Amino acid sequence: MKIELKNISKSFGSLEANKEISISISGGIHALLGENGAGKSTLVKIISGQLNPDKGSILISDKKINLGSPKIAINNGIGMLNQNPLDFANLSVLESFLVGNTQNSFISNHRKTKEKILHLFDNYDIEIDLNEKISSFSIGQRQQIELLRLLYNGVKIIILDEPTSAFSLEQKRMIFDTLNKLTKEDITIIFVSHKLDEVFEICDSGTVLKEGKVVYSMNKPFDSDTIFAKMFDDTRTKNKIKKNEKRSNKFKLFFNELYMTKHKTFPNESLIEFGTVLGIAGLQGSMNDRLVKNLFTRDFSKSGIFFDNGDYIEKNKLYYMPADRLERGLFQDLTLKEHFALTYSHINKYINWNDIAIYGEKKIQEYDIKATLTQKVDQLSGGNQQRLMLSLLPESPGVLLLEQPTRGLDYNSANKMWDMILDRKKNDIAIIFSSTDLDEIWDYSDIIISVSGNTIMDIENKRKLKKENIARYVSGIID
Amino acid sequence: MNFNDLKINFIRFILAILIIFFLLLSFGINPLDVTNALFIGSFGSFEKIIRTILVWVPISLASIALIYTFSSGMWNIGIEGQIIMGAIGATFIARSFLGDNFISPYIQLIMALGFGGFWGFICAILKVKGGVHEIFSGLGLDFVASGIAIYLIIGPWKRKGIASTSGTEIFHESSWIPTVGNLDFPIFLFLIVILVYGFSYFLLSQSSFGLRLKATGINFFATNRFNFSSERYIIYSFIIAGALAGIAGFSQVSGSYHKLVPTISGGFGFLSILLVLICSRNIFLTFIISFLFAALIVGGSQLQIKLDLDHSLVGIIQASFVLSWLILQRVNLEKKILNIFSKVLTK
Repeated sequence: MKIELKNISKSFGSLEANKEISISISGGIHALLGENGAGKSTLVKIISGQLNPDKGSILISDKKINLGSPKIAINNGIGMLNQNPLDFANLSVLESFLVGNTQNSFISNHRKTKEKILHLFDNYDIEIDLNEKISSFSIGQRQQIELLRLLYNGVKIIILDEPTSAFSLEQKRMIFDTLNKLTKEDITIIFVSHKLDEVFEICDSGTVLKEGKVVYSMNKPFDSDTIFAKMFDDTRTKNKIKKNEKRSNKFKLFFNELYMTKHKTFPNESLIEFGTVLGIAGLQGSMNDRLVKNLFTRDFSKSGIFFDNGDYIEKNKLYYMPADRLERGLFQDLTLKEHFALTYSHINKYINWNDIAIYGEKKIQEYDIKATLTQKVDQLSGGNQQRLMLSLLPESPGVLLLEQPTRGLDYNSANKMWDMILDRKKNDIAIIFSSTDLDEIWDYSDIIISVSGNTIMDIENKRKLKKENIARYVSGIID
Repeated sequence: MNFNDLKINFIRFILAILIIFFLLLSFGINPLDVTNALFIGSFGSFEKIIRTILVWVPISLASIALIYTFSSGMWNIGIEGQIIMGAIGATFIARSFLGDNFISPYIQLIMALGFGGFWGFICAILKVKGGVHEIFSGLGLDFVASGIAIYLIIGPWKRKGIASTSGTEIFHESSWIPTVGNLDFPIFLFLIVILVYGFSYFLLSQSSFGLRLKATGINFFATNRFNFSSERYIIYSFIIAGALAGIAGFSQVSGSYHKLVPTISGGFGFLSILLVLICSRNIFLTFIISFLFAALIVGGSQLQIKLDLDHSLVGIIQASFVLSWLILQRVNLEKKILNIFSKVLTK
């Protein structure tokens, strides 16, 4: 199915999110690349009818379609798979197919529908009990079901908005297999991502957006250096790990034996130097994030962090950043200024808004947050929200507890984030972070804690480890 | 509140009034007659102004009370019960040995604060420790408070000889809330309300406490990162709300009725919920709209006398005002009107 975008422009106030974007896709899997804030989401929303562009048109099979209505988009065969599955978790698979069904009349023939659906699942080699509740499946499976549901409803063009950000490797495999099969049925897929390796793996063609404009169009085979140069201003610069100066102070960490395997190389309560970075590696859904959170909630039955004299580190020295920014980290409806005021609300009873404004401006500069103090945080891009969370942590030395600090960020934002985190290293007691990205763990940690499911597989100094070991540990294999 | 908000609220106000005018016209009632009657009924004489103030005081207090619980994200349906408990607390003092002492009203005030605050606290504890939704516990506590009031009126506090739901014995005059002038201007209540308005404005917009309350209401789960506990602030908000509602009850019992009656809250608690829906957290707007509502209630008696219309028309006007306001807020018509205005002016 051919889809053509012509001169699409969209502004929000003074911000031009899309400028004269023209793309023509004749089929296959087309990548939409660009760093956070490049205008990908806006474009995707325009295609799926959630936004009405200021200018421009969309042609499907050379036929112009009306814009700005999700219903029209669906009727024209455009479907969208969101980052997080937008399905009905409490329905069974069959029910969820029936709910969104556009083909049947009011009274539906369940048996016939069921056969049709089963046939569809068979075609894609997916074995699933249709009577099982959606909530009982993994996120990867749910996305697969969603894909098939879109297909069942006659979708010809599928937009995937960063579909793999919450996936484990295995889940990613499943989705990619399904996608490859879909293209054989003349279904066009628009794949929004900032992960180059994925794009290389499955896409046939692609477009790079930057600051709302098309800066590069490409076809297989791709050239990674050119793409990088087009996506980012600065060329690929690997983060330099800042070396520790020796610090005399030490702290100790302990985890309940119940959560550990017998295989133990790093005894509980070993002395660790101040300023050490501890990475907790684990697949999506393992207990790696929970370990970080437990340290913050000070549930000492599970884990604890304390000074070498045996005193637990006080609660007000634990600085925590949860993985879900808007759900647990920030206050959607508060402005940046109000957030900065909250940081110091335990010291000042009375808020001097002028002082807060000065302090906030300084922080915004220092942490390179692209926003104004009077903006509400839900208007910020993911990278800016993440940097804001970091800027809100008190300056005084403490233990940084970071759940997936670069989740959903593109290469540049993630690098920037780590620069800022490592800047704190020389003052802080420790930096403890979780991640599902083994490269990230390997690049930044001094000590690596590998987790598989609900078990700590291994705790070890990085210099005594090989990267392959970690990959094995997180998938539950001990040599 | 900035100037632009002010303009938008003003236009919205006018539009809402226009909608009500159309509604009245469709009933075959001349809206100007109604306006006139209401105005005369509420501001026609100094006595009527005082009666309007006596209604405005409890509505204001209850509305500000609700602003606190709204800030922390709670639906304080229990406000009625908190008003009643405040009234009971005040009555308790007025009927005690302190009843004929000049300090009685001041002790009553403290008692009302305590009783109302305690009733709010129960709701908060049920929410925070027991996981009971505040709407259910609030509603339950309303019934309990109302039951206690009726029990007291026809039981232990019944009038000599008869037990009737028309209320307790009239308080000794020393227990009445102090007034000035021969028209009995309720200066003490007036000062309390102004103080509460001023203090609440400061607390909610300029203090860490207010900001933390607001933050709690927006995201219950993020507050521990900022070193405070959502639960604690929910409890604070309920205690403050209950205490303020308690003062409203005190105002009703010792300022207006001078006795405890079963309907002592006058429904002002529920009315305030409507009011706060309009004003959200805007103290300034609350001040104005609560005055308007009070004028409507007091002026309503004139509808019967002058126009032979039922008093219930006031309820219709109030409810349609709230509805129109909320719809207008959603439609955002005011912004468009403002834009047209500014275009015309620049040309």
